[in-house]
Amino acid sequence: MIAKTQELACLYVLDELSPNERAAFEARLDNDAPLAALVLELESILEERVRELPQHEAPRALLERVEARIGRRAEPETARAMQAPWAVIARWGIAAVIAVAVSIIAVQNLRRPASPAERPLLIVGLEPHQSTLAELPMTGQPQGADARFIQLASLAEQYWEKPEDLPVKMAPTSQDGRGYALFDPGSNQGFIAIRQLPTAADGKRYHLWVLDTATGQIREAGVIPAADQARGLYFFSVAPDTAANSGRLGFFVTAEDSSAKATDKPRGKVVLGDRTF
Amino acid sequence: MPSVSNSETVVEEACLIARMGVGDRDAFRELYGRYSSPLFSLAVRMVGDFGQAEELVQDTFVKIWRNASAFDPRKSRPFTWAVTIARRTCIDHLRKRRHQPVTTPFVAEEAVTHGLATGENVRSSAEGREDVERLRGALAEVPSNPRRALELVLFTELTQSEIAERLQQPEGTVKSWIRRGLIDLRKAITEGAP
Repeated sequence: MIAKTQELACLYVLDELSPNERAAFEARLDNDAPLAALVLELESILEERVRELPQHEAPRALLERVEARIGRRAEPETARAMQAPWAVIARWGIAAVIAVAVSIIAVQNLRRPASPAERPLLIVGLEPHQSTLAELPMTGQPQGADARFIQLASLAEQYWEKPEDLPVKMAPTSQDGRGYALFDPGSNQGFIAIRQLPTAADGKRYHLWVLDTATGQIREAGVIPAADQARGLYFFSVAPDTAANSGRLGFFVTAEDSSAKATDKPRGKVVLGDRTF
Repeated sequence: MPSVSNSETVVEEACLIARMGVGDRDAFRELYGRYSSPLFSLAVRMVGDFGQAEELVQDTFVKIWRNASAFDPRKSRPFTWAVTIARRTCIDHLRKRRHQPVTTPFVAEEAVTHGLATGENVRSSAEGREDVERLRGALAEVPSNPRRALELVLFTELTQSEIAERLQQPEGTVKSWIRRGLIDLRKAITEGAP
C-alpha cells in the first residue's frame, strides 16, 4: 500500500481529514477491503493507546448528572432512529438475541462492502461427512448492503423458527450433529445454525471454515462458542475472497485444539460438512 | 484467526449504541460503565485538570446519547467513535482557552498521573501494568519525531499547521511523521505481541 494511502488512513482514524476528504475516503473504504482492514487495525491501535493512558475513574456522581441532562424520556431523535438502516439491523439483532440466542462467532469487518445484487445467497445443509448446497435468489433485488443483510438475517430467523422450510433436506435426526449455514457471498457474512452437536471434548473447540472449491482457499469464519446446549444460531463473517475467479463454496466445522495459537488452516477432525465438498 | 473476544466486544458495543439510538437508557448505562473511565482518563490527559475533565466527559456522554442514532458501525469502531467525540469536545474546549500552555506528551503524562491523581488510579493490576509497559515499550521503538507528532495530534488541540510550526517542519513532513508514528506503533505492537 502506498504511503499516501497509509497517510490518509492514519489521518482518517485520527479525525484529521476535512469533511470532504473524509467523505471521499469513506467511499473508498466501501470498495477496498485491504484499506478497510488497515483502518480497523489503526483504530484498534489508537484505542489501545487511549486505554493505556494512566486510568482514572470518573466521579461517582457523573452518571447521575449526565442522566439528568439527557432527561428521563427518550429524545426526539428516537423517531428518526427507528427509520435508520443500522437501527433496523440492530433491532433485529436484539430481537434475535432474545428469541433464539444468536451469538457472534467472528467479525472480520463491520464495514459491509457493497454487495453485487445478482449474487444469490447460499444455504448449505451440514451433516457428518456430507454437505448439501442450494442457492437462494434474493427477493426483490434489495439495493445496498443493509437491505441484503436484513434479508439474510430475516431468512436465518425464519429457518431457525421453521426448519421445515429449509430448501436443503437433511436426515431428521443425527446423534453426531447437524446444522446449516446461510451465507451471502456478496458481503461475506452469514449465519450458522447448529441443531445438534456433541459438546466439544476437553481441549477442543469447534471452528467454522469456508472453502472455495475452485482455488482451494480456506477462510476461517471463527470459533463456535462453547455451550452446554448443542444448538444455537450464530452470526459470522469472513475475510473477502482474494481469488480473482472464485468457485463454489463449501462449509465445514472442525474440532481444533483450543491451545493451538495458529488457526490459519484446519488441522482437526471434520465434524460437520465435507472438506472435499 | 479472527479475534473473537475483541470482535464480540465491538459488536456488543455497537448493539448498545444502536439500542441507545432508540432511547434505551439501560444500554446507555452499560456503555457508560465501559467507557467512562477511559474517556475520563483521556480528558484528564488532554486538559490536565480533573474538574474540567469531568465537565467535558459529561458533555461527551450527552453527545454520545444524542448522536447514537447516527452511529454507523461501517464507518468506525464504537470506542473509536466515542473517543472521537471526546477528543472533539476537549479540543473545542482547549481552543477556547488558548492561553493555557499545551501539555507536553510523555513528560506531562507522568506529571498528570503523579500531580493530580487522587488515589483513584484504577490501573493497578499486574495485568494492567504489563499492558502499560508493553505499550510504552512499543512507543519507545517509534522514532522520536513521529512519536511526538502523533502524540501532539492525538492529545492536544493543535492543528496540523500549528504542529508543523511548533516542530519547525513543513506540514507535509508532519503528516508523514504522523503516518510513521501510527504505522510504526502498529508494527511495534504487532511484533511485540506474545
